[in-house]
Amino acid sequence: MRHHWPGHSVRVRLTLWYTAALTVVLVLYAGGVLVFLQHRLATELDRQLHDDFEVAEQMVERTPEGGVRWRTAPHHEGRESGASTEQRQWVEVWSPEGHLLYRSPALGNTALGPVPVWSQAAQGSASRTVPGDHQLRLLQGAYTVGGLPVVIRVARSEAPLRHALRTFLLVLVLGLPLAVALAGVGGYALARRVLAPVGWMADQARRITVERLGERLPVANPADELGQLAAVFNDTLARLERSFAQMRRFTADASHELRTPLTAIRSVGEVGLRTPRDAQTYREIIGTMLEEVDRLRHLVEGLLTLSRADAGSIQLTPEPVDLVALAREVAHHLGVLAEEKHQSLAVEATQPVSVWVDRLVLRQALINVVDNAIKYSADKATIRVVVSEHQQGATLAVIDTGPGIAPQHRAHVFDRFYRVDTARARELGGTGGTGLGLSIARWAVEIHGGRIELESEEGQGSTFCMVLPASTSPPSSGRAMLDHARRG
Amino acid sequence: MRILVVEDEPTVARALHEGLAAEHYDVVVAHTGEEGFFYANAEIFDVVVLDLMLPGRSGLEVLATLRKRGLQTPVLILTAKDAVEDRVRGLDSGADDYLVKPFAFPELLARIRALLRRGRVDQVLRLKAGDLEMDLVTRTVTRGHRVLELTAREFELLAYLLRHQNQLVSREMLSHDVWQEPARATPLDNVIDVHIARLRKKVDHEFATKLIHTVRGVGFILREGAPS
Repeated sequence: MRHHWPGHSVRVRLTLWYTAALTVVLVLYAGGVLVFLQHRLATELDRQLHDDFEVAEQMVERTPEGGVRWRTAPHHEGRESGASTEQRQWVEVWSPEGHLLYRSPALGNTALGPVPVWSQAAQGSASRTVPGDHQLRLLQGAYTVGGLPVVIRVARSEAPLRHALRTFLLVLVLGLPLAVALAGVGGYALARRVLAPVGWMADQARRITVERLGERLPVANPADELGQLAAVFNDTLARLERSFAQMRRFTADASHELRTPLTAIRSVGEVGLRTPRDAQTYREIIGTMLEEVDRLRHLVEGLLTLSRADAGSIQLTPEPVDLVALAREVAHHLGVLAEEKHQSLAVEATQPVSVWVDRLVLRQALINVVDNAIKYSADKATIRVVVSEHQQGATLAVIDTGPGIAPQHRAHVFDRFYRVDTARARELGGTGGTGLGLSIARWAVEIHGGRIELESEEGQGSTFCMVLPASTSPPSSGRAMLDHARRG
Repeated sequence: MRILVVEDEPTVARALHEGLAAEHYDVVVAHTGEEGFFYANAEIFDVVVLDLMLPGRSGLEVLATLRKRGLQTPVLILTAKDAVEDRVRGLDSGADDYLVKPFAFPELLARIRALLRRGRVDQVLRLKAGDLEMDLVTRTVTRGHRVLELTAREFELLAYLLRHQNQLVSREMLSHDVWQEPARATPLDNVIDVHIARLRKKVDHEFATKLIHTVRGVGFILREGAPS
């Protein structure tokens, strides 16, 4: 298939629609004109018949014998005028009893229809078309010639009228397809002209690749439809570029994070094998290597969780969860870590707060955030987990009195592998030190339609707020929530 | 005790072979699904350790066919897929237990022992190691003549170590069995370390013979005398 086909298709369809519409309009218009013309011609013919009738009234006179004849003009020498009108006009004069009294010579022996009925004629003159081969238009009316009541009939041929209509119809039948064809060609050209920027935009868009995501479509006129399309497309490109950049950074970070323990394992092993050592030293060496393996394993598991989350393949099993009980459980779980640092870790709540969430997922999030607070707060610090309920839902706030987070770091703390203080994180090591804990926490909250926020003041401590939407019934599905989280 | 190991990855197969042989098991290694199927049909084993991702015939197919033929031997499957559906599929196909790669070797040993023990009623009321004694009924712990005051968690932890005395216990095993932590990614290692440190303080601090030992990079072991 040619790659230009979609453009052609729209053009052709536009032209077809346009031509079809035009044909319908033209046919209706032509029909209207035809009806109007026919009416006008018929009216004109009737007017002429009335004239003829009046002439006939003037010209008909009674013969001494009791018959009727065409009068010769009194003011004229000879019978030129009367004879000529007599020659041209089709006139019949009938007696009320139905005897033919006079028939103009132009008619010869041809009758103008059947014998007239007096009662009809007496009602007044009216024109009608007489059926038959002659296509006559006939007008008859009652009149008195020298005291003798008669029926005068005049007629004219409809042939000129019909001929005119036929000619007009012929012009239309021949002209209409031509007009439609011309309009089609014009419409096609116009459509091509209008759609040309679309093809041009497509060409431009095709040139934009993953490597050249920085490019944008030129927006000729931001106000028109094509300009809007280009703007929307550029917007999409910008988002794509951002997410690609994010992905690239993530890949670089991940490979760095993975390489570090690998390098450690390798060098410890290589150095260990360099010279013979005693069993205890070997044990230490292997132990060190295994510790690094453990770090690697935690890292891979964290990454796996996040990549499943990204792919949307984690099935949530929501249930009503009491956040206060959950917070107490987590505090109980991690309490020993705080105790080791002589920190106080307390849960504050006035009443049970129930939300509909996947318990394990939310628990993981809370563990990560509390673990983070314990880890980064100084000895003897106070960490509070405050559970509250409000109109929009419920909030889990983890408030510490730690060193706080500098403004330039705040936006990034939820990024994968982002560390405020790399050296300190390394020194803390262990499980929360993967740099993924807060990313996982954010995902866990967002997949439930909630959000996680950080408020911090340097030297004053930090507050991680997990806001969960109120829901008294189970959400329709995990997928829907995921979509919601992604939109958010 | 004979164990059939079906594992295609040579390094892992060799490590399993050596590790299990060191625990005095009689080990037969099969490198493909067909080979594993052949051995399992031809000889008698006490436990089968079956990798699911095998070239040719997959572990699940082998397992399903063996079960269809009426083989009763307990099967422990090894899988790199820890998605719930995969585990369920493995257990549905007739596996008795599963372990997700990368697994800790002590955990594999513990699972194998559990499978071998299966069916036998384990009515232990007292646990003992050297002069350390634990009464599971009264929930009291004594060392020598001294009663040790343990928290509930410390009691559970010590009981687990005592049940597995002379065996290596990994942090994952403790996380799973003592803390009943369902998710693997949850950072509990620090918590476990702190509890072990406290327990050690109570159990070993004032005694000449240390019982709880840390094996770097692996986990913990409860035994009299230093770990070999």
